[in-house]
Amino acid sequence: MKRIFAYMITVALFALTSCDAWLNVKPYDKMSEEELLSTEAGFIKLLNGIYIELNSDMLYGAALSVEMVEIMGGAYVIGTDNSVWGNYADLAAYKYQTDYWRARLNETWNKAYALILNCNLLLENLEKTAVKFSGDNYRVIKGEALALRAMLHFDMLRLFGPVYSHNPQAVKIPYYKRYSVTPNALLTAAEVAAEITNDLQEARILLANDPVRTSGTMTSAPADATSTFMYYRNLRLNYFAVTALLARSGLYFGDMEAAYDYSTEVIQAASEGIFPFVEKSLVIGSPDDPDRIFSSEVIFALSHSQRNKLFKGYYDPSRIPNYVFRMDNDLMSNLIYGGGASTGGHQDDYRYRVNWVATGANRYFYKYSDMVDAGSIQNTMIPMIRLGEMYLIAAESRSTDLAAGIGYVNQLRSHRGVSNITSLTRDILQYEYIREMYGEGQLFFMYKRMFTPVLFSSVSSRNPSPSDAVFVLPLPSSETDN
Amino acid sequence: MRRYLLILILAFSSWTASAQGSTAVLKGTVIDAADGYPLIGVSVMLNGTKQGTVTDIDGSYELKVPQDKCEVVFSYVGYDDVIKAYTTKNASSFSRIVMSANAEQLADVVVTGVYERKKKSFTGASATFKTDQLKAVGSSNVLQSLKTLDPSFKMMESTQFGSNPNVMPDIEIRGKTSVAGIKEEYGTDPNQPLFILDGFETTLETIMNLNMNRVASVTILKDAASTAIYGSKASNGVVVIETKAPARGRLQLSYKGDYGLSLADLSDYNLMNSREKLEFETLAGVYKDNTNDPFAQIRLDNLRNERLKEIERGVDTYWLSEPIRPGFTHKHNIYAEGGEDKIRYGIGLSLGNVAGVMKDSDRQTIEGNVDLIYRAGKFQFSNKLSINWLDVTNPTVSFAEYAYANPYYRKYNADGGIDRYLYYPEDGIDDYPVANPLWNAHLNNWDTASGFGFTNNFIFEWFVTKELRFRAKFGLTKQDDDEQTRLSPQHTQFDDMGETEKGLYTHTQIKELVYEGDVAVTFGKLFAKKHMVNAVGGFNFSNNHRQIYGYSATGFTDDQFDAPSFANGYPVGDSPDYSESLKRAASFYINGGYAYAERYLIDFNYRLDGASMFGTGNRFRNTWSVGTGWNIHKEPFMKDNDFFSLLKIRGSIGNPGNQNFSAYQAFSTYKFNGWMTNVFGTGVILNALGNADLAWQETTNYDIGADLTFWGERINMTLDYYWKHTDPLLAVITTPGSMGVTSVAMNAGSQKTRGWETSLRVSPIYRPSEGVIWNITFNATSAKSEYADIGNSFAALNESGKSSLVGTTRYYDGGSPTAIWAVRSAGIDPATGKELFIKKDGTYSFTYDVNDEVVVGDTQPKVEGLVGTSLYFKGLSVGCYLRYRWGGQVFNSSLFQKVENIGTQEVYNNQDKRALYDRWSENNRDAYFKGISLVQRTEKSSRFVMDDNSLVGESFNVGYEFPDKIARKMRIGAMNVQLTMSDVFRATSVRVERGIDYPFARTVTMSLGITF
Repeated sequence: MKRIFAYMITVALFALTSCDAWLNVKPYDKMSEEELLSTEAGFIKLLNGIYIELNSDMLYGAALSVEMVEIMGGAYVIGTDNSVWGNYADLAAYKYQTDYWRARLNETWNKAYALILNCNLLLENLEKTAVKFSGDNYRVIKGEALALRAMLHFDMLRLFGPVYSHNPQAVKIPYYKRYSVTPNALLTAAEVAAEITNDLQEARILLANDPVRTSGTMTSAPADATSTFMYYRNLRLNYFAVTALLARSGLYFGDMEAAYDYSTEVIQAASEGIFPFVEKSLVIGSPDDPDRIFSSEVIFALSHSQRNKLFKGYYDPSRIPNYVFRMDNDLMSNLIYGGGASTGGHQDDYRYRVNWVATGANRYFYKYSDMVDAGSIQNTMIPMIRLGEMYLIAAESRSTDLAAGIGYVNQLRSHRGVSNITSLTRDILQYEYIREMYGEGQLFFMYKRMFTPVLFSSVSSRNPSPSDAVFVLPLPSSETDN
Repeated sequence: MRRYLLILILAFSSWTASAQGSTAVLKGTVIDAADGYPLIGVSVMLNGTKQGTVTDIDGSYELKVPQDKCEVVFSYVGYDDVIKAYTTKNASSFSRIVMSANAEQLADVVVTGVYERKKKSFTGASATFKTDQLKAVGSSNVLQSLKTLDPSFKMMESTQFGSNPNVMPDIEIRGKTSVAGIKEEYGTDPNQPLFILDGFETTLETIMNLNMNRVASVTILKDAASTAIYGSKASNGVVVIETKAPARGRLQLSYKGDYGLSLADLSDYNLMNSREKLEFETLAGVYKDNTNDPFAQIRLDNLRNERLKEIERGVDTYWLSEPIRPGFTHKHNIYAEGGEDKIRYGIGLSLGNVAGVMKDSDRQTIEGNVDLIYRAGKFQFSNKLSINWLDVTNPTVSFAEYAYANPYYRKYNADGGIDRYLYYPEDGIDDYPVANPLWNAHLNNWDTASGFGFTNNFIFEWFVTKELRFRAKFGLTKQDDDEQTRLSPQHTQFDDMGETEKGLYTHTQIKELVYEGDVAVTFGKLFAKKHMVNAVGGFNFSNNHRQIYGYSATGFTDDQFDAPSFANGYPVGDSPDYSESLKRAASFYINGGYAYAERYLIDFNYRLDGASMFGTGNRFRNTWSVGTGWNIHKEPFMKDNDFFSLLKIRGSIGNPGNQNFSAYQAFSTYKFNGWMTNVFGTGVILNALGNADLAWQETTNYDIGADLTFWGERINMTLDYYWKHTDPLLAVITTPGSMGVTSVAMNAGSQKTRGWETSLRVSPIYRPSEGVIWNITFNATSAKSEYADIGNSFAALNESGKSSLVGTTRYYDGGSPTAIWAVRSAGIDPATGKELFIKKDGTYSFTYDVNDEVVVGDTQPKVEGLVGTSLYFKGLSVGCYLRYRWGGQVFNSSLFQKVENIGTQEVYNNQDKRALYDRWSENNRDAYFKGISLVQRTEKSSRFVMDDNSLVGESFNVGYEFPDKIARKMRIGAMNVQLTMSDVFRATSVRVERGIDYPFARTVTMSLGITF
C-alpha cells in the first residue's frame, strides 16, 4: 500500500512539474508579451506603437502641440463669445481647476505615463531577451526607447514641475524607470532633471552609430528595402534629435555649457548638410506649394496620418463661427512681424510669408495646411524639435552676456530672408522664438523658463505676469487621489 | 486483508462417509436483501485461507470445504460482509445467502464529490438534503430549495431584476470573501461557490436549468475540513449535487410533473394616481413659467387644464398592469430505468417551460439524459450523458418604463391605436417629449437566446480489493449559446437618427468547451476493529476554453421584416467583437481520515493546485486543512445513556483559496494601435498590464461545531461558530496615473468574518413506524465582517462613492463590507425646511460635508433564518417555512430618488406617493421630507437609512402520497401530489420599490409524481 502511494506521489509531482508548460496559456485574441517580444519585429512594432501613440490628441496630436499648451503660451486671441471659447477662456486665464481642464490635464498626464510604461516594458524585455537583433538595431531600439521615456518625462516636468530656476528642489513628479505595480515616489525637479539627462546621455551613446550621422535623414526608403526601420530618421528620435533634446533640457535646467555644446554640435552637423535650411524657392515669392514646416530643418517630427486635422480643427478660417486659433493682430503687426530693429520683425520674413495668410483684417495660420502632393511625407509631420531652436539655444547659452549670441540669431535670420539685428535683447530673442516655433507647443515653456510675462497682446498690461499660479499646473487628481 | 477460510457442503449434495481429510461442497445463491435479485461476483472465501470462489451470473456458487468446522465469508463491495459458520451439519442453510447494502450507504453519508464519508465520522461542517426534502419546500430549482433548507446558503435577492427567470442570481455560502470591483471588471462573481455535479465541476446556470426531479441529493460543504479537497476553488464553499442513478429491476417508468402559476407582486410600488401626480407637478412648479413670459404662462396653464380635464373625465391609468401577465409554468420529467446487477440503464427526458410574470419572458429547457452502469467483477464503468437545449426570450421594454409613465395619460388614442408619444411638445417649445412604453413594446423587437450543449461524464472504477479502489473520471462539456436582439427602426431610441441608421440587430455567439479528468485511489479499512483508516489520493486537471463572437447591424427600414439580411450595413466605426479565455488547472490532492473506536476522529486534506490564471511567479499553491472530532456518545461512560444518539463536537482549520478571476490577469497583453499606421508600418501598444506576482486569494477558515441528536431522535441540532480570514484579498485597484495604467489587479489587505449558524429540529411527535411525524425547524445565522490592512488602496472607490448620488459602501480598515456610510441627519429643521446634519464631532450644521460620513447602518442583518414546521400523517404532509430577518438596515433608495432628488427631468416620471405628502412647507413644519423642489439636491444622509426587518412566507406546501393499496388499484406503482406556494406574503418594516426592471413573483405550483 505504501508503495502505491509513493508511486502516486512521484507520478503526481512529475505530472505537476511538466504541467507548468501546459498551464502557461497564451491568449489568441490578444498578443501576449511573451509572444510579441519573441522576435525582433515585435520590438520594432512596439517601439513604433509608442511613436504612433504620441500623435494622440491628448499629447502632441493636439494638446501639447497646437492646442492646450499653446493657449497657455498666449499664442492665440481668445474670443469673447463664451459659448464658443468657454473652456479656452478659462485656460487663458489659467483656471486649471475647472472640471474640464482637470479632466483634460488628467488625460494628458495618464497618456504620457502610459507611454512611459510602454517604454519601460520594452526596455525591460530588451534587457532579458534572447532575440538576436540584426545590425545595430538593438542599440538603436534601446536608445530611442530611452530617449522617448526621457522626452515624455521632460514634458511632464515642464508642465507640472516648478519654475526650475526658482525652485529646483520642489517635489513634483515621479520618474519611472521600471514597470511596477506599486507607485513610485514623487521626486524633486532636480532629481527628475538628473534622470532625464542620464537617460538622454545613455541614449546618445547607444545611438552613436545612427545612420543619420552619415547618410542624413533619408526621407524615403528604397523600393526594395525589406524594412523601413532604419530610414526616415527625422521621424525617429535619432542621434541628433537626442542631442537637440539635451540642448533643450540643458537650457531648461540652467546648464548653459551643456546647452551650448549640444546645440552647436547639431548646428555643425546641419551645416554639413544633414539638416539643410529650407530651399528659398519653396518659400519666397508666391510658391504654389510651399514647404511650410521647413521640413528639411526638422530634427525630429512625429508622423501623423491625418495631420490635416490640426489645420482643419483649429486654424482653418472656414471654421468661423466656430473658434479659429490665430495671433493677435496688433501683436503680429507691432512686435512679431513689424516694429523694425527693436523687435527684429519684418513682413519679408519667410516665416510670415509662407505661414500667414490674410483674410479680411485678420491673418490666419497655415503652417499645418497640406502640401499639394497628398502623399508627401511633409503632410504627416508634426515638428517636435527643429534646427532654428538650436540656433536660438546656442545664442542664449553661449555666454551669460546675451549679446554674445547675436551671431547665431543672425545666422538663422539670414536663412529667413530678414536682415541682421544689431543688438540682442531678451525680448528680441523671445520674438525670434515665437517666429520660429509658433504652433509647436514650446512658447509656454519658454515663458516659464525665463519667468517673463506671457505675450498674449502687444499691450503689456494685458499680459499675465509671471507667477506660479500661471506656470505651475496642479498635479492631476488621478495622481493625488490614488 | 487476508482471511481464514472454511468450507461446507450443501444439504442436497451427497457426501462420502470418510471423515478424515474428505471434502464437502457447499452450493447456493447469494441475493440482495433489498430486492431479492442475485448478486454477481460476490467473493465466497474460506476464512483464513486463500481458497474461494465468486458467484456467477445467476448469483450461484459452489465451494469445496474440508469436512470440518469452519467459517465462510461472503463479501461484496458496498455490502456488509456475511460470515457464516459451517458446523458440518448446517449445509442446507447455505443455499440462500442474503446480503444487505452497507449501513453507511443507507445512513447519512457526506458526499464530497471526491470521496464519501459517514456523517458520524466526518469532522467537517456540511449539510446533506435528499430529493424529498428539496421537493417538499419548492419545485422551481435546487438552489431555491436549498435557500429554504440551509441558513448559510444565500441567494441574493436582486432589487433590479426581481424574479426574472433568465437572470442568474448571486449566491453565497457563509458570506462574501471578495471585495467589489471584481465582478464589474471581469464578469465573474468572485463570491460564487463551487458547484459539483456528479463529481465534475459545473456552472451555476447548469444547476439552475437542472430538472429537480433528476436530483438524488445535494450536499453543502462549508468549512475548511470539508472543502479543502477542492483546494484553490473552495473558499466560497462547495455545493455537491448527485443525480439519481438508475435502480435495478424490471423496466420502470416514472413521470414527474410540476404545474405552476406565478403572479407579479406589485405591493412594493406606491405610485401616485393621476390627481396626486398633477398636484405634485403643480407644487413643483412645472406649470409656472420662470421667464415671466405671459404667452409661455398661458401655454402652461392650458397644458395643465388639458390634463386636469382628462383627470375629471376619469383618466387614471394603471400602467403597471400592462407588461405583466400570469405566468404558467410547466415542467415534466420522464425516466425509464432498469437492468440487473451487471448492467443498469436509465433514460430520461425533461422539459421545462417557465413563463415569467412579464410578457415575452420565457425560459424553455429540454434535457435528455442516458445513464449507463456496467459492472463486471471488480470493474465498474458508468457513463452519464446529458444533452440540453435552451430557448430564452426577454421583454424588450423594462418594467421601469411603465412605472415612469404618468397616470394622467391614456394608453390608447381615440381610435384605439397606440401613439408613439404620450406627450409631444409643439414646435418651438423647449420641452421633453414623453415616449409611450406601449409603443416600443408593440413593435417587432426581440431579445432571445438559445443554447445547445452536452455533457458526458465517464467514470471507471476498479475495486482492487475490498479496501482499495481505483477510479478514473473524464468529463467533457460542450456548450454553444447564441444571443440575438433586434430593435425595430420605429423604436423611439432612433428618433433623431438618419433613416439608414435606424434599427439595430446584434448577434453574440458563445462557444465553450470544458474538459476535466481525475484519477484517484481510495482506501478504507478498519484495523483491529478499532482503527478506521480512510485515504484518498489523486490527480486532477481541467481545461476551460470560451470564445465569444459578436457583431451588430443597423439600417432597417421596416418594422415587420426583421431578418438581418434586411440591414443596410454595420454601425459606423463598429468592428466585430471577439474575445476568448482559456483557463487551465492541474492539481494533486490527498485526503486522510482516522477514527479510533468511532470516538476520536481526525481528518486532513492537502492539495497542490496550479492554475494558468496566476503568474509564473506564483503558479502553484498549497491548500491544507485539519479537522478533528469527538463522538462523546460513543464513550464508555455514555454507554448506559441512551438519551443521546449523537453527541459530537468537532473543529477544523484550513486555507482554501479562490480562483474565480479573469484568465489573463497575470500577464501583460498588447494590441495594435489600429487608429493609425505610418511609414514604418503597424505598431502595437500595451493593452492590459499583468501582475505576474499576483498571489492567490486565500481564506483561512476556522470552524467549531457540535451535532446533537437526542431524546429518541426527537431533537436534532447543529451548531457552528466560524471565523474566516481572507488574506490577501485580490482586488482591482485604481492606481495613480503615473503608473501608466488606471487600475491594476493586485493583492490588497484582508477581510475578517465571524459568524455562527444553527439548525434545530424538534419533533414533538415522532412515530416513524406509524408514519406520523411532526417537526418544528428553526435555523438562524449571523455574521460580521470587517476589512483590515487595506490602507488607502481603495481611496478612489471611496472618493467616487462619496461624490456620487448612489453608493453607500466604503472601504476602510475596521469597516464592514456591508456597512452603510452616510452623514448623520438630525432631520428637517422646522423653521427653515433645511436638513440639519450632525458632524463627526457631534455638532450640528446645515452644510453637508461628505467628510462627516460615519457608519449609520449595516445591510447585513443581526440574525436571519427560517422557522418552519412540517407534519407527516400517513401519506399526508403539510409544511410551512417563514423567513425572518432582523437587525439590518437599508438605504431607502425609493425615498431618496422618488421622493426627494426629483429633478427637472425626473418630474416627468410618475413618482412615489410619499413625494406629495409629508413634505416640509410653512404649514407642515414637522415634515420628514424637505419641501418640494426640482433644483435642490438631497445628499445621502441617515434620514434615508431605515431598519429592514422582515418576515416572508417563503414556502407553504401540502402533499399526499397515495397508499400502495390505492396505487395498485389504479394500476400504478406509486403516486404522490403536492401543492407548493412560494413567497406567499411579505411583511417588512420598510417600504422600498423592489423589482425595478422586472417585478417579483408569487408562485403556486402543483406537482405530481407517478411511477408505473
